Amino acid sequence: MTVWRRTILPALMPVLAVFTAFVVGSVFLFLTDIENLKHFPGDPVGTILAGLVNIGKAYSALVLGAFGVPAKLAAAMGSSDPKVIAGAIRPITETLVASSPLIFTGLAVAISFRTGVFNIGVEGQFIMGALGATVAVLALPDLPKPLLLILAVVIGTLSGALWGFIPGFLKARTGAHEVITTIMLNYVAAQVVLFGLRSDFLKPAGSSTPISKVLSTIVRVPLIFQLPAIRLHYGIVVALIMAVLVSWFMFKTTKGFELRAAGFSLMAARYAGMSAGGSIMLAMALSGGLAGLGGTLEVLGTVGQMSNDLSSGFGFNAIALALLAGNRPGGVVAAALLFGALRTGGGLMQVKTGIPLDLLFFVQALVIMFVAAPALIRSIYRIKVYSADGVTPQ
Amino acid sequence: MTSGAVAVRASEMGEAERRELRAARGRGLVIALLGAGALWAASGAFKVAAIFSFWLLEQGGAAWTITTTVGMLWLVAGSAAIIIGGMQAGFGARFPWRQSLFVIAPLYVAAILGALLDGQVANMTGVFSGSLELAVPITLGALAGILSERSGMLNIAIEGKFLVGACAGAVAASATGSVLAGVLFAVLCGMAVGYMLAWLGIRHQVDQIIAGVVINIGAIGITNFIFLRVLAKNTWLNTPPTIEKIKIPFLSGIPVLGPLLFSGTPYLYVMLALLIFFSYMLFRTRWGLRLRASGEKPSAAATVGIDVIKIRYHSMLLAGALAGTAGSYLSLSSAGSFQMGMSAGRGFIALAAVIFGAWNPVGAFGAALMFGFSDAIQSLMSILGVDVPPQLLNSVPYIVTIVVVAGLVGRVRGPAAAGQPYTQG
Repeated sequence: MTVWRRTILPALMPVLAVFTAFVVGSVFLFLTDIENLKHFPGDPVGTILAGLVNIGKAYSALVLGAFGVPAKLAAAMGSSDPKVIAGAIRPITETLVASSPLIFTGLAVAISFRTGVFNIGVEGQFIMGALGATVAVLALPDLPKPLLLILAVVIGTLSGALWGFIPGFLKARTGAHEVITTIMLNYVAAQVVLFGLRSDFLKPAGSSTPISKVLSTIVRVPLIFQLPAIRLHYGIVVALIMAVLVSWFMFKTTKGFELRAAGFSLMAARYAGMSAGGSIMLAMALSGGLAGLGGTLEVLGTVGQMSNDLSSGFGFNAIALALLAGNRPGGVVAAALLFGALRTGGGLMQVKTGIPLDLLFFVQALVIMFVAAPALIRSIYRIKVYSADGVTPQ
Repeated sequence: MTSGAVAVRASEMGEAERRELRAARGRGLVIALLGAGALWAASGAFKVAAIFSFWLLEQGGAAWTITTTVGMLWLVAGSAAIIIGGMQAGFGARFPWRQSLFVIAPLYVAAILGALLDGQVANMTGVFSGSLELAVPITLGALAGILSERSGMLNIAIEGKFLVGACAGAVAASATGSVLAGVLFAVLCGMAVGYMLAWLGIRHQVDQIIAGVVINIGAIGITNFIFLRVLAKNTWLNTPPTIEKIKIPFLSGIPVLGPLLFSGTPYLYVMLALLIFFSYMLFRTRWGLRLRASGEKPSAAATVGIDVIKIRYHSMLLAGALAGTAGSYLSLSSAGSFQMGMSAGRGFIALAAVIFGAWNPVGAFGAALMFGFSDAIQSLMSILGVDVPPQLLNSVPYIVTIVVVAGLVGRVRGPAAAGQPYTQG
């Protein structure tokens, strides 16, 4: 009984949330399948069965797209042909490629939420970091490669940190609500990036599309596997190290304790002699720095070129992700892997079945809703709530 | 004798007062320096003509023109700034400097506009009616924000409601062939979203910011999904009849004002009517007082017998209806069909207008006009081929909002209890 309450139940809730969200998503899939629904008046049972088959096809394409085809994986085990191996592991590596920016942005959101600040501006901090790194690379292309990479990473991280520090500073000094300022700064960041990409310094000569010169020929984050079409680079390793560091910082250091104290109660932290304003500024700068680092590794590792759609909602997904993870670094990694798998698998689903990837945004919104309102899930699955003493069911 | 008295007075002044006087003098100096800068700009600009024209009776018809020089505009702006700066330094903290900015800012805008146009004719009726058009959805969205936040519910989901309203309006209007049905369905869908937000925030005590984020992400997801999966293949569901402009008899015949104010879409008139209606309702009726009380001090409101929960639900439904209407404007009036992500951040601009207008409908309308103006100027610049980075003008509303929220210009205070869950004891 204790095991159930202490261990299984807390882990079960997010799983049930994700499961329920997908069930609701399926209902929408069915209701928007106009071709199939046309047969409904004549053949209701057949329509429902066909609808279920379509949903099954969509979700199986999603899973195969995210993790690979088992038969191919088995064949790759005994093969030494790099093309066969690459073809088999590509879905998994692509999932990891999609997950690593999400780990960074998820950690960024988690740090700020733990401190009690709602950093909605991770999206802006992510692209500002990428822009900073791009400018650094194009400004000093002749530096030795390793030095240039380190410099670009530092500058990218600092750009993100600065973009996060601004709303933190405004909150601490003037009380400006960070939700408003970070939303506005997201839009300003998008305009700054667009402005930069239209400048002669960043854009290739004669180009009119907002895409920078190619950076990957100058410098790039090294790849983990030297296989054809495998894009997995060491960014994922950095992401995992960051998750460990954030976990250590938040839960094992005095500063981390101060941040969490400010998150529990700003007033109490103040009376305990901690600088609440300092905590807010530090949390926002760290949060922005993580997001900026994520943007840097995305532009220098995965894409190799700065563009105005570098981030396909990594910053906004991160909010859902951090909530699903309960703002725990380990949970962020797990949730980022899930969301990364959804993105990659969703791509195959879109190609194979024509079902738009955007379904997954809707499913994500449902996931946050179910996580944020656990009473919904409890009432659906009839899970009893136990009070703090663990004895009396409420 | 007198100087001695002043010295005594100065020494009697408290530390706070002295700091205020210093701050006032600093502000005065800054404003006066701005004025000096304008005068310097004026000195070289008397040969450049600044021509602003206004249409008399109809768009594109005969025009009434004001001709002056850019130097003159700078001179006026600079003199005004120096006078106001001097008064600020002289009168100290008593001088209403925030209000005086409303005098200086338009003069500077006119001068900068003239300098940028560099002798080209600018049609201001086009700019002003463009600003008004753009202000319609923002004002409606801001009204939604004001109603919900005044009742104590933070509402960052206006953007999501815009999208849902736009999509619902386009589909219903296309399916039935009636614009009115489209608007009605958009209102209903907006209300459904508003109800959901209220239900999450009140019934389930979900943090209102998180609930708003959920709604926004979900709205983007579902409208994109519907567009790609249904509307892209079945275009008959996304070709709504568009709303025509209506000329109001007699009033549209007033020179200059006629083509500006009385020849718009019905949305313009509805928006103006709702603006007046809700200004009256919020500040002059018992209903408004109760609504504001639930947003300021819900426990006190409940003590005198106000049903805070019910008021919050009602205001969220109303807010949903208003934002849904604004959404339908996007797809039925300006664009003529639903497109993915067509609200393009206007819901957040509406949120900015709420704060900028200090949670007051008329103030929010003013802010919406200003945001619309910066948009309209940008399109004027691109038509006339003036080389200003559009990103700069695009960022203006957002930066101005940050400045306002940070209290650098004027401290604005929202409803005290907005965002806090309330449980009936």
